[in-house]
Amino acid sequence: MDIVMEHKLSLFQLCDSNFPTGAFSHSYGLESYIQENKVHNQETFSEWLRVYLNEQLIYSDGLACHLVYQALEEEDLQKVWKLDRLLTVQNLPRETREGTQRMGERMLNLVESLYDDPILSIYRKRIGAKQSFGHPAIVFTMIAHYLKVSKAETTLFYLYSVVSSLVQNAVRAIPLGQTAGQKIIHQIQGDLAKAATTIGQLDEEDFGLVSPGLELSQMMHERINIRIFMS
Amino acid sequence: MGDWTGALNLEVEDRKGKTVAKKVYFQGAFKVMRPIYHDESGQACYYLLNPGGGYLDGDRYQMKISLAEKAKLTLTTQSATKVYKTPNNFAYQEAEISLQPGSYLEYLPDPLIAYQNAKYKQKNVIRMDKTATFLYSDIVTPGWSPDGERFSYQTVQLLNEIYVDNELVVYDHIRLNPATQNMKGLGFMEGFSHLGSMIVVGKQTNSSLLDQLYSAIDMNSDDYKLGLSLLAVPGLIIRVLAHSTQVIEKLFSELHRMVSQEWFNTEPSFLRKY
Repeated sequence: MDIVMEHKLSLFQLCDSNFPTGAFSHSYGLESYIQENKVHNQETFSEWLRVYLNEQLIYSDGLACHLVYQALEEEDLQKVWKLDRLLTVQNLPRETREGTQRMGERMLNLVESLYDDPILSIYRKRIGAKQSFGHPAIVFTMIAHYLKVSKAETTLFYLYSVVSSLVQNAVRAIPLGQTAGQKIIHQIQGDLAKAATTIGQLDEEDFGLVSPGLELSQMMHERINIRIFMS
Repeated sequence: MGDWTGALNLEVEDRKGKTVAKKVYFQGAFKVMRPIYHDESGQACYYLLNPGGGYLDGDRYQMKISLAEKAKLTLTTQSATKVYKTPNNFAYQEAEISLQPGSYLEYLPDPLIAYQNAKYKQKNVIRMDKTATFLYSDIVTPGWSPDGERFSYQTVQLLNEIYVDNELVVYDHIRLNPATQNMKGLGFMEGFSHLGSMIVVGKQTNSSLLDQLYSAIDMNSDDYKLGLSLLAVPGLIIRVLAHSTQVIEKLFSELHRMVSQEWFNTEPSFLRKY
């Protein structure tokens, strides 16, 4: 197998919804919609997923992948740390902010046992010293860059990993059938490719945009009584 | 970038327990009235005015507000900010706010009304000492159009950047884009028309304040939807979706009252405007 393919395969490992980062315990506000019965089947979940992708994810994690990759290409680590902070402080609902931070740390520890990219330990030390927060999109991009996977593919694969975890969560929580879940993942692939293209055309001015309802659902999740997700 | 339609520079300081202006400068279509002292606390209140009556195509407004140590200031507007249609360039307003140790700023502008085909961007940058306190609110209405259609503006984009001791701690970025977004759809306005945001940053904030606010608010009301969350630094953010400005104002004044009571053992003043 040629080295490029091998490297892509290595990145696929991180996209697997079984990769233990803790993504299975976060719904990013989806659970609020489920409890209000606004998301209750394949159709309503697909609608939520598209809005989440296009009105929040591309401007936060997605744009971060793109910008972090650029910064790594330019060996501008200060920029990476700046984006780590920006990603964290634009995430205003406490549960999603803290949950994402924990996922970032967990993912970082895991990939450090797989790869000896020196930047990983720099990132971990910064987090330990409370100079950085930790974010899965940044860890993912560090590995993708290390594996020399292209910038556009990095963004696309990251979006896929988030979306496939969310679908698995929805299958458990709504609940949906496994076939319905796979249909959703199949149908959203065109949207993911489009989102990755859009991200390539965004600039830093667009960072952190979010639509009000999504964010509100993430804040309201804090006071949901019976919950299966941490956000 | 120095070409402002209106510019305002206000510096205040504490003189023997009373907050007074050290420097007031304005030019173009932006001004402030003489300060009002609503009570004996020494806290000054300035009303911002837009003598032009509203923002027009390509208008650019800049505000620089600075509070010296222990100064206490309320900053508000005299009436709603109206943004008329902007066929070519968006209207823009930016505020640079500096809060020195122990100072306190309440920045409580009136609602924003974006007219049909208006594009508006607003950027507030707050640089504060960790011992300063900042309280902010804003309300975005569904705008105005001759035939009464809601959300007929093109875009409203609001950015709040807050730095505490030179570190970015809040990046609040909202854009409503009825030209391309389905405002009635899931994830946007959730069937409501008005959006309110309130941000409080101050070292006194803790989770018991949050609990207190939660317990004072009816979270099951059909009149609004409200979310509250603690920030990455001591402080909190509140977002409200509602059907009217009045509902949001009522909630915010109650929350403001509770925060003032908890932190300073004071009651906020009623801001007379008419």
